[in-house]
Amino acid sequence: MDTSVLKVSHLKKLIQKKLIIEDVSFDIQAGEIVGFLGPNGSGKTTTLRMIVGLSTPTSGDVEICGYSLKKEFVKAMSNVGCIIEGPDLYDYMSGYRNLELLASMSKDVTKKDIDEAVALVGMENRIHDKVAVYSMGMKQRIGLAQALIHKPRLLILDEPTNGLDPQGIHEFREIVKNLAREKNISVLISSHLISEVQLMCDRVSIINNGRIIRSASIDDALVTGEVVWTLDDPQKAQLLLKSTFKVEAAIAGHTLRATVDPERLSEINNTLIASGFDITYVEHKKRTLEDLFLSLTDKHTI
Amino acid sequence: MIALVRNEVMKILLKKKMPLIMILLLIFVGLLSYGQNYAYERNIDQFEAESGETAFDWQGLTTQRLDELEERSQNEAIPGEVRASFDREIEQLNYFIENDINPVTPTAAKFNVSFAEQGITLFIPLLIAILAADLVSSEFSRKTIKILLTRAVPRWKVLLSKYIALLIMTTLLVFIIGITTTLVSYLFFQEWGFSEPIVTGFTLFEGTLNSDSTILIPRYQYTLLIYSLVWFVSIIVASITLLISLIVDTSASAIGILMAALIGGQFLQFFLSDWELVKYFFVTNLDLTRYLTGSYQPVEGMSLNFSILILSVWAIGSIAISFIVFNRRDVLV
Repeated sequence: MDTSVLKVSHLKKLIQKKLIIEDVSFDIQAGEIVGFLGPNGSGKTTTLRMIVGLSTPTSGDVEICGYSLKKEFVKAMSNVGCIIEGPDLYDYMSGYRNLELLASMSKDVTKKDIDEAVALVGMENRIHDKVAVYSMGMKQRIGLAQALIHKPRLLILDEPTNGLDPQGIHEFREIVKNLAREKNISVLISSHLISEVQLMCDRVSIINNGRIIRSASIDDALVTGEVVWTLDDPQKAQLLLKSTFKVEAAIAGHTLRATVDPERLSEINNTLIASGFDITYVEHKKRTLEDLFLSLTDKHTI
Repeated sequence: MIALVRNEVMKILLKKKMPLIMILLLIFVGLLSYGQNYAYERNIDQFEAESGETAFDWQGLTTQRLDELEERSQNEAIPGEVRASFDREIEQLNYFIENDINPVTPTAAKFNVSFAEQGITLFIPLLIAILAADLVSSEFSRKTIKILLTRAVPRWKVLLSKYIALLIMTTLLVFIIGITTTLVSYLFFQEWGFSEPIVTGFTLFEGTLNSDSTILIPRYQYTLLIYSLVWFVSIIVASITLLISLIVDTSASAIGILMAALIGGQFLQFFLSDWELVKYFFVTNLDLTRYLTGSYQPVEGMSLNFSILILSVWAIGSIAISFIVFNRRDVLV
């Protein structure tokens, strides 16, 4: 059985005869946090809009918890909470009224659910004030509460940390991580803050020019394959690596640097130790997500 | 569904549209009834000054008219239906004399009807537009349409709930107009006049006024009749405004387009009344209440039934298009 909470298959979207989304497919498992990255105009928000039914795909389909968005909109959407370029609130009402209003649009949402969501985002004290007097950060919190009151299994967040201060961002991250861990909610986050995505997400999908160009777990995505050994005789080791493993290594001081397939690493290390080298440190170089993002979306013009 | 409608009604109420409409209404009604009362008193003063009498002798004038009518109806030469209409006027005048009511006094019952008759083509549609114009467009301009449409509710239900809420508020508004005009004008006139008889039911037959079917009914019935027509017209205008509000993105342009249609429609009717097509435009058909007064025919071939039919077609068409557009629309705000 397919356990994907979200399954996006071959989405395509033409807007005014322009192909905005060429072919986007990915899926998200229960409890997974997936980061959705892409430069401006890459089709990020358009994809998210199609996932939540705001806009209709030219072709392809979205399945949420096994329900096709096209055929069973209501069943599919009852499992989704989202903030799309939000938060969007009625500013002539109090935060609480806003939540009540949306609660009445879903089945079986009780007052207790609203109160829980309010407590979760830490807005108990100001919840009865008019939205018009809220700060951006407070609106973001209400927006998250809105997305959570009906206990969705999938959370879709587009730029959720806009306008939050560092402390707010940290709290937000903890809330989202807890939701995924404790309630097994899947989360799809798009953000410009790459460090944010790196800290929060299990997996990352990078979109550019309407196509997914990389989709991998954060760890895999960041591995460069570059290994740095700190050992007593780098020159000798360099020769050994070259003769035994056909690996070109560069020397810098007491370190030796080479690009190695991670699977061969333990074999190489064993050989080095067996040959009597004194290894003090082996480091598997990782790049930052930012480096990866920039290298993949290079030479980008809108 | 009930919850959705309640939400929409709450939104309209919280946007404080009703107080705005009430203020507009009170200002207009207050000014109009004050002005009417003032004009009436001046006329009487003038009459007294000219005739040299100290009190306006309406009984004398009414009796004079009565005698004249009775004399003419004795005349064998006049046709039966004309005599029938004389008889009804005699009956009406007798009522005034018997009950000691001055027939030309402004009363609340007369005022609320004439307000409705005058307002039905422009002022009342404007009030409806204030209510309806931002129903959908404000959801787009505030971007809240995104939270409405990403819930587990199909789009047609969202729009239907808005439409029902609009119908409720429109009905309420028609009641408010009726009650406000009556109460405020009573303050000035000090006369209700709801039981006074009024002659109505003229029909146009081969170009002449046919009074065969005229009847004498009490004023309150006439008021109810007029306000049912106002209600019907308001529902039509509300439905058309809903469509406009859905197509444009701001409520300002929605109100602008509706006003342009209303005023432009009056122009069309005024300048091109012999052009066949004009009678199919909804604005030309709004003035339903004037059919009751008899000789009204803005464009050749129009009648009360014709206008009601045309208006219904416009409203149903607007609603159908609204639902289709709303269901298909890509939300890109």
